[in-house]
Amino acid sequence: MTRSQRVTSSHFDNKFREALSLWQEEVVQLDLVDPVTTEVVRLRCADHHDCYT
Amino acid sequence: MESPIDAFFREVLDDRTSVANQLEEIHGLAWEVMDSALLDLCRLRVAMLLDCDSELEVSNSDLDSEKIASLSEWSSSSLFNESEKACLRFTEEFIVDVSSIPDSSAFAVRECLGEEGFVNFVNALLVVEQRMRLQIVWRKIGEEVSV
Repeated sequence: MTRSQRVTSSHFDNKFREALSLWQEEVVQLDLVDPVTTEVVRLRCADHHDCYT
Repeated sequence: MESPIDAFFREVLDDRTSVANQLEEIHGLAWEVMDSALLDLCRLRVAMLLDCDSELEVSNSDLDSEKIASLSEWSSSSLFNESEKACLRFTEEFIVDVSSIPDSSAFAVRECLGEEGFVNFVNALLVVEQRMRLQIVWRKIGEEVSV
C-alpha cells in the first residue's frame, strides 16, 4: 500500500523520543540472543514498522 | 508505589535493571504526554484484542464503567466522541497490522490531536502494546516452565 507523509515535523517531545531510543538501545544490547538473530529481528521490525531511522 | 505489572517486569528482568528502568521510564512518559482517559481507552481495547487479563484488571484513569462495557462496540456507540473513535480505529489497525494503517485513519487522529499529539499517541500506543505483548509472552513461558 502507499502511504502519504503523515507528519511534517520531527521536533516533538524530545524527552519521550529520547527515552524510547534509550529503551531500544538497552534492549538490543542484551546478550542472551546472538547478535545476528538480534539484527535480523531488528531489521524485520524496522521494515514492518516502516521505520527508516 | 510499584504496580503489580511493574513488579512482574522487575522479577522477569531480574538483574537487567537498566532495561526494567527504561521500560518504566517510557511507560510513565507515555501517560504524561497523553490524555490519560484517552490512552486508557486504547490500552483497554488492546488488552481486549490481545486477551491480556492482567491489563484488563487495571485502571489508569477514571473511565466511566458504561464506556468500558461498550468499548467493543465503540464504532456504533454514541458514548464515544470523534477523537476517541479516531484513536480506537487507529489502535485496532495498529494491533492487527501496523504496516497497513490507511492514511485516512492516521489523518483522522492527526486532525483530532494535532501533529504533536498524533506523534505522542503513536509512541504511547507502541509502549502500551509492547509492554502488553511482553507480558503475554513472558507469562506464557513462565506457566510452561513451572509445569
